[in-house]
Order: sequence, then structure tokens, then C-alpha cells
Amino acid sequence: MSEPGTLRRPTNTGIGRVLVAIYGVFALAACSRAAVQLATRYHEAPLAYLLSAVAGVVYVVATFTLARGTQASRRLALVAILIELVGVLSVGTASLIDPAAFPRATVWSLYGIGYGFVPLVLPFAGLAWLWRTRAPIKGAIR
Amino acid sequence: MISWLAYAVIALAGIAVIWGLVTAIANKPPGKAQLIYAAVVEVVTVVQSLIVAVRLALGARVTEPATTVGYLIGIVILIPIAWFWANNERTRFSGVVLAVAALAVLAMTLRLLVLWNPALLG
Repeated sequence: MSEPGTLRRPTNTGIGRVLVAIYGVFALAACSRAAVQLATRYHEAPLAYLLSAVAGVVYVVATFTLARGTQASRRLALVAILIELVGVLSVGTASLIDPAAFPRATVWSLYGIGYGFVPLVLPFAGLAWLWRTRAPIKGAIR
Repeated sequence: MISWLAYAVIALAGIAVIWGLVTAIANKPPGKAQLIYAAVVEVVTVVQSLIVAVRLALGARVTEPATTVGYLIGIVILIPIAWFWANNERTRFSGVVLAVAALAVLAMTLRLLVLWNPALLG
């Protein structure tokens, strides 16, 4: 996977593969949840269900960009994970302050309590992994 | 849903989770027996999804049919994808990848059981 000129370590190797697997599970969970919600009862809570869809897209992008592990995909992964972080923190806080606005759960409601708080931990793990793999591979620059 | 089959899937998946973590701690990639075992878990999961799908088609009632169908489909694709992802680069982390997929299968089967019979939570 490391093309010539790669300065950074790929994100799709070692423990990074576990991260990709967890992102993959959440991509599946969030997307199918959103698909069911939007298809069967969109009118009940449009905001929550659209947020479910956003969460699904963010997880899909993070999964594939981390799995690809190229320089360009790293940047996309960073954007996706930052959106994920903002999403879980803001939706988590909003659903705590104003439960009426979130009558139906999304993956990010109450910081992902329905998924064992993994949605809250995952963006931090993702950022930590991008940070850890930022270092150039020894000798790659020369 | 057939309760004993669902509990069997949960137990089999639970063993796969532990097995994956054990090989990771032992710093070994998953062995042949472990990979075959994952395939067996997959076969039992597929059988379960087929049986539940037939029962739904025959008119069995669940509180959330769309969600149930989503879970029945989702549950059978996790292990095959993880299987290939784990074998593509064989390290100790391959076992963790299998464990993640098996844990998801376990959680989704529990959720399916509750969707089928909400009284289980009561």
C-alpha cells in the first residue's frame, strides 16, 4: 500500500486494522439504522433521522479512508473524524439538554449510550491513530 | 426467532470474541482452527437469518419489521468481511478484528431477540 513518496506510515496496518473494523461495524450500524428510520418514519423526527444519516456517511468515509491509508485518504479521514467528534459531542449534549428535540435515538444520542459509548471513544481513537502514524517512516525521506 | 438457536449464536460468537482476544494477547495471528470456527459461526448465523426470514414471510409479527430485516441482513455480512480483512494482513490484530465482528454479531442477535419478543426486557 505504500506508494513511492509516502512520507507517513499507512493507517491500514497493525492495530489500525482493528480501528477500521470498528469503524466498519459503526458504518453498517449507523447507515442501516438511518435507512430504516428515513424510509419508515421520517416525519416523526426528521432532525434526528437526518443526523443518523450524517453519522452513517461519516462512518463510511472514515472506514474507507483509514482502510486505504494513502496520503490523500488521511486528509479525508481527518475531516471525517473531526466531523464525527463534533457530531457526537454536540448531538450528545443537545440530547441531554433538550430530550424533546431528540425523541428518537441516533447513534450519537446521549454520547452513544445505546452503543456502549463506543461512538464517544472512537473519534478520539481515530485522531490518536492519525497522530501516531503521522511520523515519517524511517529513511523514507532520504 | 428460535430462542435456542439465537442463544447458540450468542454463545458461539462469544467464544469467537474470547478466542480472538486470546490469540492477540499471545501475539499470534488466528490459526487454522480459529478461522474454521469463525466460518462455523457464520454458517449458524446464516441458518438463523434464513429461518427468521421464512417465519417473517409466513406472517410472524414483530414490533419493528424493517429494523428486524436490517439486522437479519447485517448480521450475516460481518464475519465474512472481517474474515478477509483479518487474513489480508496476518498479525495479532487479525484476531482482534475477528473479535470485533463476533461481538457485533453477538450484540445484534441480542437485539433481534428483544425485537422478536419485547417481553424479554420486561
